[in-house]
Amino acid sequence: MANEPQRFNPDLTRRRFLQGTAFAGVAAFIAACTGGAPESQPPASISIPTPPPVPSATPVPASPTPVPSPTGPLKFANWPAYIDLAGKAGEAGEYAKGSSPTIEQFKKAIGVDVDYVEAIEDNKTFYAKIQPQLQAGTPTGWDLIVITDWLAAKVISKGWAEQIDHSAVPNAVKNLQDDLKNQVWDPNNDFHYPWQSGMTGIGFNTKVLASAKIAEPKSLKDLYAIQSGKVSFLTESRDTFGLGLLKLGKSADPSSPTLIDDLQAVHDDIKPLVEKGLIFADNSYLKNFAAKKTWAAMVWSGDLASSGTEGDTFQVPDEGVMIWTDNMVIPKGAANKYTAELMINFVYDPKIAAQIEAYVYYVCPVKGADVEIKKLDATAATNPLIFPTADITAKYHNFQFLTDDAEAKLDELFLDLTGG
Amino acid sequence: MTTVGATATPPGGWRRRLFAAAPYILLAPGLLWLLYFFIWPAVQMFLMSISSGSLDSGFRVTGTLKPYTDALTKFSTQWGNSLLYGAISTTLDFLIGFPVAYAIAFRGGRFKNLLLFLVIAPFFTSFLIRTISWQILLGDEGPVLGFLKHVVGILPVDFSILYSPVAVIAGLTYNFLPFMILPLYVALEKIDIRTLEAAGDLYANGWRTFWKVTFPLALPGVFAGTILTFIPTMGDYVNAELLGSPKTRMIGNVIQGRFLQSNDYPTASALSFVLMAGILIAVLIYARALGTEQLTG
Repeated sequence: MANEPQRFNPDLTRRRFLQGTAFAGVAAFIAACTGGAPESQPPASISIPTPPPVPSATPVPASPTPVPSPTGPLKFANWPAYIDLAGKAGEAGEYAKGSSPTIEQFKKAIGVDVDYVEAIEDNKTFYAKIQPQLQAGTPTGWDLIVITDWLAAKVISKGWAEQIDHSAVPNAVKNLQDDLKNQVWDPNNDFHYPWQSGMTGIGFNTKVLASAKIAEPKSLKDLYAIQSGKVSFLTESRDTFGLGLLKLGKSADPSSPTLIDDLQAVHDDIKPLVEKGLIFADNSYLKNFAAKKTWAAMVWSGDLASSGTEGDTFQVPDEGVMIWTDNMVIPKGAANKYTAELMINFVYDPKIAAQIEAYVYYVCPVKGADVEIKKLDATAATNPLIFPTADITAKYHNFQFLTDDAEAKLDELFLDLTGG
Repeated sequence: MTTVGATATPPGGWRRRLFAAAPYILLAPGLLWLLYFFIWPAVQMFLMSISSGSLDSGFRVTGTLKPYTDALTKFSTQWGNSLLYGAISTTLDFLIGFPVAYAIAFRGGRFKNLLLFLVIAPFFTSFLIRTISWQILLGDEGPVLGFLKHVVGILPVDFSILYSPVAVIAGLTYNFLPFMILPLYVALEKIDIRTLEAAGDLYANGWRTFWKVTFPLALPGVFAGTILTFIPTMGDYVNAELLGSPKTRMIGNVIQGRFLQSNDYPTASALSFVLMAGILIAVLIYARALGTEQLTG
């Protein structure tokens, strides 16, 4: 949810593609030089996804029970430009055969075809498509889908997700970042594994602010105090209201008993700004910075990490920062559940994760990817937006999983603010 | 004789009946199309508009009128914006479009086709792209404002158009202009030049000729043009979304928001129905006012 519209912007994706293709090219080159191993290995073994490099011994012991064999083609629904796209297809913004090294390597390693489709542009719209099938207990046609926390939580709570067999995903069990474990809605990762995370905070361009003689906003209070016509908040209700709660010093815990009243307070806090010309933007804030239309905005970290222009800055607000995660979920009735598990396991190999990360530039959910990514892109490994430091993670707030009542209230209040 | 007549009648009757039914058979594909893609969805939408529930729990037809009371009472600003922006941009389209259509029809000469092509040419680019281009054109530092601010210096530096009602109306006016020009052109082009000469012979000056002859004869085009412009501008949400701010939202944005953001299908359906009914009534009043016999003209 938090990240959907940023992928629409042709300008943004092109820039990201241009950057990404370079990195993916390097990735493919390195894979070609150092590897060779994945090609020579026989297909249909769970341990095929290269084991993490640090503890070199003990390959995954072969299960005494007969190993299920992967079936295909794996139907994988993901968001646009959310994997290591390469070459011409990457530039054109559409997935084509061979345009993602990760998918191609998976096909070779597992010996099963993958039908990777950029089918999700919006959590709610995608949910509206699959909800009737899930409700009726019929297959959705997808084996693996990537959906944001709140929707993943909803799907899981309704029992519409297949339980992931932990013995099939040893990489994921081992390499999932600690701060992404123990989600209240799926504490043992029985039903989901994160694909990418991102932060929502304050963004601005230092040059634009300097020329407008405005102090750089360090806190949400600072952001609210800037002339409203020169500020944009996000078109994503959870992001804007999450930060709005932090600004008021209210609890951004979705289970807070005073949440409904607090949401109203956030609305009442923002409404005057709207009257004074505040706008709501998706990733078009980048364009607005460039055109000096806005001076500062609520932004997503991935944009500024991968595609920002010179001077673009992501500020973790003093009050805290919102964290959201898009998660891999196997929808109930998936025809190729085991292959989907193999895919989850595959992308939790730090090498593969680094390869994806060097392209998408979001917060990486895989331990060890920072070591691997050094080989691809030395600066990325120390980029706190991809590998956040402890003082940033300490400020994390997750405002995703709302009750139906709170969500309805949020929708109503947000639509009133945005005029829709 | 009688036997011959008796044997001849059945095939003749059959053929005659087929002949009589032919118009209906020929209409059938169109009627089926309308039935499936218009009537059926409209019925579904009507049923949805009197339902309650949510996407998760499912919607059930309960006969509730709440969606309609919500649709009529909650969104006065957006209804107002739709009416106002629609009316203003339709008027502007008429004021801009009439001279253009007039010039092409009466002064176009051998360039008529080229000029008409130029009117339609922007349509070869996607509606969305054209609207997004206006973000650049109207940008604070864009080619127009940037020039006026920094080169000419007649505008203050913080002067801004983008995200204001002016930008939305400008976008609407631009995007629907050809819908005004083309019907006007067709109507003007049909005017027999000899009627204008006759007016001249009867000592009418240019101005009187225009008001007494040209304009009345162009009325069917005026009617078609204003309808074709006003209806889509009323329901448009792209221009308000891309060029406007929360304060300039139109009813189309509300419908889109209800459908896609809050999944409140009943209210969205009710809004759509009220919009449809409103436009229908407006068109009927308008047709009555202009006089239908002139419109078949």
